[in-house]
Amino acid sequence: MRRGSRCVSLATVIVVAVSAGACAMFETRETKLQAVKTVGILSAVGGEMSFAKAGLTGLNSRSQSFPIASWGLDDLIVQQVAAALSGRFQVQPVSYQRAAFAAIEDSPVAPVNVVRGDPFKKLVQTEVSPQGLDAYIVITKAKSNFGGGARKVEGIGFITFGTLLASSDHIHALYEIRVIDGKTFDIIEKMAAPPLDKAATISIAGPSRTIDESFAASTGNPADNDKLHAAIADLVARSLSTTLSDMHLAETR
Amino acid sequence: MLAPSAAAAEPLVTLPAPPFELPVVPPVSGTWTVMVGIGGAYNPDFEGARRSMLSPVPIFSLRRAGSTEQFRGPRDGASIALIDFGDLRAGPVGKFVPSRKANSYSELNGLGDVKAALELGGFVEYFPADWFRTRVELRQGVVGHHGAVADFSADVIVPVIQRFTISAGPRFTWESTGAISPYFGINAVQAMATRLPIFDAKGGAHSAGAGAQLSYWVTPQWEAHSYVEYERLLGDAAKSPLVTIRGSPNQTTVGIGASYSFDVRIR
Repeated sequence: MRRGSRCVSLATVIVVAVSAGACAMFETRETKLQAVKTVGILSAVGGEMSFAKAGLTGLNSRSQSFPIASWGLDDLIVQQVAAALSGRFQVQPVSYQRAAFAAIEDSPVAPVNVVRGDPFKKLVQTEVSPQGLDAYIVITKAKSNFGGGARKVEGIGFITFGTLLASSDHIHALYEIRVIDGKTFDIIEKMAAPPLDKAATISIAGPSRTIDESFAASTGNPADNDKLHAAIADLVARSLSTTLSDMHLAETR
Repeated sequence: MLAPSAAAAEPLVTLPAPPFELPVVPPVSGTWTVMVGIGGAYNPDFEGARRSMLSPVPIFSLRRAGSTEQFRGPRDGASIALIDFGDLRAGPVGKFVPSRKANSYSELNGLGDVKAALELGGFVEYFPADWFRTRVELRQGVVGHHGAVADFSADVIVPVIQRFTISAGPRFTWESTGAISPYFGINAVQAMATRLPIFDAKGGAHSAGAGAQLSYWVTPQWEAHSYVEYERLLGDAAKSPLVTIRGSPNQTTVGIGASYSFDVRIR
């Protein structure tokens, strides 16, 4: 009996010690974020917009991309994130090579991504000035499967889903937000923007909405389509508050 | 299949953040979709059997809200795509084959038990178009039997409307001697016990058939599905006395199920 209670006591001590050690070793994001005072915000999401088809399509259904940098989506994102974070952090302007951040692609071979680590850590080290802020908020394109087939969508896009009886048009704004430690360049937090509540009628891993035919680009450059521009900007704006809240960066939800 | 997002309403449950996080594991914060359900499969008592039996099948999955479930066929093994070009995917695959108990069915009396098997290997699937999937799985038995299995399938995936999808296509399976003989071979001892003739089952074409499935999202939360898979045993599997005398080369599986999805938010 006494031997049994000694074993229980020893086990309790071990459990408490391991728990305390684990808590000390693996700081929570909140703990790390508490030390952050100054942040810089970078966005490389809105350079181009893809147009794709999914579902019942022809055999050659490659997507097309058009430049939409003139919409100024990245500036809008930086402004909105800065506004959301300014109550908690001191937001400082930063300069960076937007194209370098936009050009980063995940390898289709998953183990390669694990081995090479997060490429944005190095970019923040080499392509952003000033250095020395406590953290950098980096917003870049995210990727998602669309439907159960082969189609993948990324960043800002317009996709037509064809079915036997009808087709529907959807827009998406897929992005992910990283908080990178300004001293160690470790990732404090990383999250892809989730779907918008009550707005998602399709399964896509990010903000999206169904649109009617009046949004479709009839001819020419989609950058000239003001209605599409407004819809995408609205999608980004509405999703940012949810994502920043989920990341514990802002309590704006 | 283009499934509506389950995140069509506020999360059902909000859970607190975990007390600590592992550095190499992505944070769990955010919204997750939980799918729970129940199904039933009416399948042959054992491979080569003439009779079938209804058995319950639990349904459970957990994924990030909005992340899509890739198309999968009822015969697919459990797999993960480590290589993913969108139209071309590949990675490891595994399949569990339940044990066959001789005392469970009178047709098997005297044949002895066949242990449960675990088959591990790789898969490749290719989508020539968004609505057409081809897939091959190559698996090696590592527990139970020690033979090789190759499963080939093709599916035309037709979204009739956004929430209703039909898919169908042909199937073919090849198995080596090591994978066929435990189930279809009859040795001298078994022959004496069962009065079936001795049969030395060799590898080769094992079955060919076709399958179809329907999936319908009644609401963004409720989904119902059903499928039918037919295969005709070929080669030595079809020639085995277990099949010719006591069973049937025609093997049909019918399944039906329903599931409910809800969101859980982790702070």
